[in-house]
Amino acid sequence: MKTAKEFLKTIFFIEILRGLALTLSRLFTHAVTRRYPKVKRPAQPGFRGLHALVRDRDTGKEKCVGCCLCAAYCPSQCIYIYTSEDEDHKKIVDRYEIEVLRCIFCGFCVEACPFGAISLTEHYEYSDYSRDAFYMTKERLLSNWDKYMAGQKGEGYFRKFWRPMSEDFGTPEKQATWRKIQNAK
Amino acid sequence: MPEVEKILETRELNVNMGPQHPATHGVLRLVLDIDGERIVNVKPVVGYLHRGVEKLGENRTYFSALPLSDRLDYISTMNNNVGYCVAVEKLLGIEAPERAKFIRTMVAEMNRISNHIIALATHILDIGATTPFLYSFREREWLLDLFEMLCGARLTVSYPRIGGVRNDVSQEFLDSLYKFTEEFPSRINEYETLITENRVWKKRTVGIGVISAEEAINWGLTGPTLRGSGVNYDVRKHAPYDAYDKVDFKVPLGKNGDCYDRYLCRIEELKQSNRIIKQCIEKLPKGPIMADVPKYVLPPKDNVLKDMEHLIHQFVLITKGPTAPEGEVYVSTEVPKGELGFYFVSDGTGRPYRMRVRSPSFIHVSVLPRLCAGHMVADVIANIGTIDIVLGECDR
Repeated sequence: MKTAKEFLKTIFFIEILRGLALTLSRLFTHAVTRRYPKVKRPAQPGFRGLHALVRDRDTGKEKCVGCCLCAAYCPSQCIYIYTSEDEDHKKIVDRYEIEVLRCIFCGFCVEACPFGAISLTEHYEYSDYSRDAFYMTKERLLSNWDKYMAGQKGEGYFRKFWRPMSEDFGTPEKQATWRKIQNAK
Repeated sequence: MPEVEKILETRELNVNMGPQHPATHGVLRLVLDIDGERIVNVKPVVGYLHRGVEKLGENRTYFSALPLSDRLDYISTMNNNVGYCVAVEKLLGIEAPERAKFIRTMVAEMNRISNHIIALATHILDIGATTPFLYSFREREWLLDLFEMLCGARLTVSYPRIGGVRNDVSQEFLDSLYKFTEEFPSRINEYETLITENRVWKKRTVGIGVISAEEAINWGLTGPTLRGSGVNYDVRKHAPYDAYDKVDFKVPLGKNGDCYDRYLCRIEELKQSNRIIKQCIEKLPKGPIMADVPKYVLPPKDNVLKDMEHLIHQFVLITKGPTAPEGEVYVSTEVPKGELGFYFVSDGTGRPYRMRVRSPSFIHVSVLPRLCAGHMVADVIANIGTIDIVLGECDR
């Protein structure tokens, strides 16, 4: 009996017809693709795109103090920082450069920065004809901030990116913890 | 006519397949010895994508080496990250909080679905069906969008951290993911309608690349490639890490150990992964997402911004790395392709003295000569598809 059924299935191409019915029914549904250059998908908040140096609203200069923590943390070691001292022995950042072609966009620099001075923007269409266009100097990075992240957008970006906050820290019962030691004191 | 006979002698032909062949899933070069249309011998030549990830890991702190694991198997990045973090956590002797474990399990299973989808899709495409490839990329896009919502990157996520995960999941993300798990079984049915019973597909895969259970174990196969031969071995079940001991799932097994059974295993694993995600969303406990171990985990960001002690701590940890105790550790986790192992030798500093990666793809490539021997040239493609290799992981 089973073999007869199988035989009928074979000669009438049942499984092939089922597949064809499925593909035919898809003809009448909405397209899932986008016409990319014309229709762009908005990037999600916190997207890791091109870099920017945060411009301080009060001074109008960069927030960066040149502590080099981002350069120390960077897995691909593509951040170069050169600093010097002015007359009052204050550290000034002469050059802050990122080699974008070497960057892997992990976002560790943002995580490391203790001043919130660097960010990744939502801009991802930065192709160019020359390699020079991908060597980001301080001025370029600051203008990136003005172009893509200024205002409310930048604030919202950091709120998402600066997790984990202190309430996110905890631990399983058996593990010795900082907080427990502090509470015991 | 003795001279003519001499001209018409037959001999084996030596043909190069790859490294730029679209069906070799990367830069795999195969040197085929063929006798007419039959394969006599296959010699895989690997190393075209060698970047020295293991050596690079030795020059970076345990924190900074995390993105390297993304670049091993660039299709299942989340699983690699989780594997790396679980290994380093074991070395440091810390444990992630419950919520972080559940989140990790959830995102790892998302990536398992995304990887199996692409493995099946390319396997099917290589053999000749285009439609399932297009359909499956629709679902993969959905998952990648969810990853972007979660951590800001679609492929190279770098989301898990040593001692937890980078940021908490939002309710919006969970809702969207739950919608996906509700929808996904019907999508699996679509692939099955198109492929499972298809006579062309069955002709090309049933009885191709047969490997018995004993041989599969001897070759060191893991993952769906091993389970297709009927060996019940899954690291998630037999040495549970993260929250796998708290969720319920089955390990699908094949019988014959051919391409078709391995395909069925992967389809069944898609369903099981979907179940795991659903359970993770339902059981997701409230609480912290990072372990509170200041010696090894970066301090909270809001404290770094206003508190001097935390700021100093951040500087020390990032520049020196977490000073791991001396010793060595090997931890294996189940990635979609098989068993991914990380082996660390620590000399008591913030950088590993030796980092070794046991990648499933490398071991699976070595079984290709065994699988292909005696089959036709066209079956080489089917065999490459079925062992599901990624050359980034194979060559490291």
